[in-house]
Amino acid sequence: MSKLSFRARALDAAKPLPIYRNKDLPDLNDCVSINRAVPQMPTGMEKEEESEHHLQRAISAQSVFREKKENMVIPVPEAESNITYYDRLYKGELRIPKQLFHIQPLGLDNEQPDYDMDSEDETLLNRLNRKMEIKPIQFETMVDRLEKASTNQMVTITEAKLLLNEDDYLLKAVYDYWVRKRKNCRGPSLIPLIKLEKRDGSTNNDAYVAFRRRTEKMQTRKNRKNDEASYEKTLKLRREFSRTVTILEMIKRREKSKRELLHLTLEVVEKRYQMGDFTGEVLSEVTAPLAEKPVYTVPITVTNGNRHNHKAEIKIKTHKSGGLPYHGYHHVSVKDEDPFDFVRPKKKYTRREPLCRPGRPAKRQHIVNKADIKQYDFHSSGEEDYPLSPSSEPDEENDPDGTFAFRRKAGCHYLAPCLDQTSGLLWDHPELAGLDALRHRQSLTALSVPQRCVGLARRRVGRGGRVLLDRASSDLDGVLKQLDSGVFSSSFPKDLSDHQVPTQNHRTMPGSASSLTDLLSNIQALRWRFFRPRSTQGDASGEGRTGRPSMDNRLSGGLFVHTKNSGSGGITEEQYQVHQQALAQMQKQQLAQLQLKAPPPQQHFSLPERQNTRTAGSTDCIISKTLDSVGAHFAASAVISAPGQVNNENKPDNTSVNGVVQPLGTSRPPHSTSTSQGGTGLDRSGRTPSSGGPLLPASHSTTPQSLPNHRGHGSAVSPAHHHHNARPSPSSLKLATMATSSLDRVPKVTPAISSMARDNHEPERLALNGISETTVPMEVT
Amino acid sequence: MVDVVEGCRLPVLRKNQENEDEWPLAEILSVKEIPGRKLYYVHYIDFNKRLDEWVTPDRLDMKKLQFPKKEAKTPTKNGLPGSRPSSPESEVVRVAGAGPQHTPSRPPQPQAQQKSIPTKTSLPDFQVLQQQAQDSQDSSDGIPSTPRMTGSLVSDRSHDDIVTRMKNIDCIELGRHRLKPWYFSPYPQELTTLPILYLCEFCLKYLKSLKCLQRHLTKCNLRHPPGNEIYRKGTISFFEIDGRKNKTYSQNLCLLAKCFLDHKTLYYDTDPFLFYVMTEYDSKGFHIVGYFSKEKESTEDYNVACILTLPPYQRRGYGKLLIEFSYELSKVEGKTGTPEKPLSDLGLLSYRSYWSQTILEILMDLKPDNGERPQITINDISEITSVKKEDVISTLQYLNLINYYKGQYILTLSEDIVEGHERAMQKRHLRIDSKCLHFTPKDWSKRGKW
Repeated sequence: MSKLSFRARALDAAKPLPIYRNKDLPDLNDCVSINRAVPQMPTGMEKEEESEHHLQRAISAQSVFREKKENMVIPVPEAESNITYYDRLYKGELRIPKQLFHIQPLGLDNEQPDYDMDSEDETLLNRLNRKMEIKPIQFETMVDRLEKASTNQMVTITEAKLLLNEDDYLLKAVYDYWVRKRKNCRGPSLIPLIKLEKRDGSTNNDAYVAFRRRTEKMQTRKNRKNDEASYEKTLKLRREFSRTVTILEMIKRREKSKRELLHLTLEVVEKRYQMGDFTGEVLSEVTAPLAEKPVYTVPITVTNGNRHNHKAEIKIKTHKSGGLPYHGYHHVSVKDEDPFDFVRPKKKYTRREPLCRPGRPAKRQHIVNKADIKQYDFHSSGEEDYPLSPSSEPDEENDPDGTFAFRRKAGCHYLAPCLDQTSGLLWDHPELAGLDALRHRQSLTALSVPQRCVGLARRRVGRGGRVLLDRASSDLDGVLKQLDSGVFSSSFPKDLSDHQVPTQNHRTMPGSASSLTDLLSNIQALRWRFFRPRSTQGDASGEGRTGRPSMDNRLSGGLFVHTKNSGSGGITEEQYQVHQQALAQMQKQQLAQLQLKAPPPQQHFSLPERQNTRTAGSTDCIISKTLDSVGAHFAASAVISAPGQVNNENKPDNTSVNGVVQPLGTSRPPHSTSTSQGGTGLDRSGRTPSSGGPLLPASHSTTPQSLPNHRGHGSAVSPAHHHHNARPSPSSLKLATMATSSLDRVPKVTPAISSMARDNHEPERLALNGISETTVPMEVT
Repeated sequence: MVDVVEGCRLPVLRKNQENEDEWPLAEILSVKEIPGRKLYYVHYIDFNKRLDEWVTPDRLDMKKLQFPKKEAKTPTKNGLPGSRPSSPESEVVRVAGAGPQHTPSRPPQPQAQQKSIPTKTSLPDFQVLQQQAQDSQDSSDGIPSTPRMTGSLVSDRSHDDIVTRMKNIDCIELGRHRLKPWYFSPYPQELTTLPILYLCEFCLKYLKSLKCLQRHLTKCNLRHPPGNEIYRKGTISFFEIDGRKNKTYSQNLCLLAKCFLDHKTLYYDTDPFLFYVMTEYDSKGFHIVGYFSKEKESTEDYNVACILTLPPYQRRGYGKLLIEFSYELSKVEGKTGTPEKPLSDLGLLSYRSYWSQTILEILMDLKPDNGERPQITINDISEITSVKKEDVISTLQYLNLINYYKGQYILTLSEDIVEGHERAMQKRHLRIDSKCLHFTPKDWSKRGKW
């Protein structure tokens, strides 16, 4: 092998090296010289040190003997380990613990003085101890404080007095001693300390200055000038990030305090409930200044209906309050409803956001709870709070998007109903939440004129002192019907009661555990509040029946009015006029027309209960039922936002829409509801069967928990139809035309919906042909 | 008697390891007068500066006294890094290498300036000069006037003066031990005149007297390093201390360590370091045996910054244990690592020994695979051991294992290597048991600042 004829390749760290024993390679010596191909690695030592005598000796010894010889080690200065007094010095023993030691990250500062007494001090101490007792630790603490207070210049005796708070004699003695000692001390302090750097750089070369703070300046290589710039940028970025972090922190804090507020409010409510402050007297006493202006922050226009829904849903998403399946469902429903338009509303929502934001949630919570408690405390001033809220009527006319286009009004606060927020917070179990939540904010209520129990409701005073009842649907509705018939049987109009019976069956949800008897017992035991009108107006029967605190006169009066209006299905128009809710009417009518246009098969669409009732045929019956359900729906959707809704002066309809007016019975509220819902549906998708739109999602996702809502949706639709039937109006016609124009879009929607429905729904419901079904009622009528 | 001044060279008597007299050439670094006599601080040429000492005049061989050459014998030479005081010849080199350790060669401008100094300069002048030197270097190759902020072994020239050339602490009492420091350490200056500096064995606080230590021990209830114990097997434990969270202890530890580590710098704070303190337990507590520090984030694959076995525990396998532990940490981190440079002489020997044993252990454990000759890549070795590739290669080279045979590189194990290894492994009783390690590496880059 000619050694010089080739150059060895570079050593490749990734290439396997076979391992030989020398004895396996007799001819190895031939090729040793090629070893130079592997570059010599540096030892990592400083050159001069590497040549040091002892090291070289050790290295050569090692290479010769393969291990260190005793006399070839590198000599080092000696160390002794024979401190005899060690055991006396370090007293006590430490048993080794089973667990590994783990130091707590913070603390362990036992505030011991850093100063340690020396023998000189001990002499002083002994002397002092003849006159008074002073412990070493006490002395050390004194000196320690004096030292630490004397960073720049020595403390004076007067300062020392303030600092030490000791007996004058002792203080004087120690202080004088300290001053003397310090003057003799060679170091800057009696507590030996590492020299600290001075910021002026004068200590840069002081060998005794150690542990300097690292400056922010990055070391850059001179040939990379941009390093500096990018470093600066990075710094800036970092600053900005940290600002973001700060902002997020603040948001977090804000949200926390919101939650806190909610909890507090809840507590207030509970306390008030416990002390029986149902009229709110106590609260108003306590919060008189605050309560002066009850804030109803949620003005919602009928026309806005859909937007609001959106908003609500989005809100829900963002608020994420309860984690109820219900939310999820709602959110989903939005998407399902209008795959086409979803984006737009959302954008609007974001735009709108700043307006509705300020202070809202907190207030809202407050209001809600207040409203809950003072079901019958009417803040008539509420409406005045939003004198500016415009009616949405004019919008409709011009809106190219149809009546359903949403227009925001200046000075108008729009709040979405947060369907689940409260309930979510109050009750974890969704099913419970449905009923319990309702029960906590609504009371059983009976009307005097159609003498019947309207189920869960609460009342408010609307514009002009009208009393509005916000009704809520619940699983109890069916049972309540029974209650109706049971309690009021004598005074009940025949027809109504007739119809109601069938309703019951449908209404009672399979899952609802409550029965009539339960309910009655609840009421009797005062666990449930039950409000009935006094017998003054109409032939309300069974006055003090439950022993519940009866509603105050105003309330009953208001109720009465309502009942009057709503007494019979035909009276609806009167109501409208009375309330001047032309807008709502129009919408309803429009809706109705639209629905009329929709194909008959749609009938089946509504929830089974609904369907049944409707099919059963009698409008009255339908109405009532629908109302109930509608109410429920609204209650569900509007419970939270309800108070706010009252505020829309210009749009009394709205209030009704939100279910406020529902108690009125059949007539208006249903319309509004329907409109709103339908509106939402329509607006977004631009399809007539609007009501179907919102309904559908609900139905898809029907889960036991969501049942109430579910119903609500369904019901909402039907009442609307009903109304329309009652009286077609020009606006409705308009709507109809719009609808027709947009009808082409409908088909698209329908399949999707229906499919969804199928997925999630019971077979019966599936039969529904999507949106069209909703319209069915119209046809029927 | 002729005046022996700084810079003079002459043979000085010292006892060698066999306790025999020898007269190595030494240089006078400092002269001090104590009542009745003079003392000379001498550095033995070609010996590590840890052996520098104060000697009495009777140990000087005045017959062979060499006076300093004009230019070279200025005190400035004492400012040079390296453990040896500079001879005039080597001074150039040393000045050149005076910068941060990672820039080994440096333009010699500073040296020219130094040479221009006619005779001894007073210290302030010297500092000025040094500043100039730094400035000139700043402009020439961007070395900042303050040491770089990473690493622990920066040889910053601010310390390379006569002050840091000389040991300043005579003796340290730590627990049962009295230690003779090897190098300068910036303990408070007023403590440097004490015959003995007392340290609390557990918190390492420095105290000027036994009385103070006694008093301190009534207040200090530490019986182990103030950190989390991340390893325990038998009496050996490791404690992890965060240089940012436990500054006092970290600083005290650094001050103590500086007494035995020439190139350690205490210029900057301890924030970016973790300290792993190895202790041995007895009924009194967990006694510090040694430690190594480690940068929380190393840009250069360092898994050890400073590493030290305290002198009383040296030459008993603890150093290797520390090194092994440092690589165990790297294994957990899934990284390869290498100690920060420069290595000291003892560091080089220890690491070489550890690397050799670790690599030989692997090579000898490789069994023929279906009759095929066992083979392994350098990368494999590096991966298994967490030893950085360069260190693997240098070790293979140092052991002379790499050969070029028939067109390829091979590893050859000679008999004496194998025997030597087996003998060494028999003596190596202390091993790290990775099962006893409870360590979760933190990603320090994700934290704000260390």
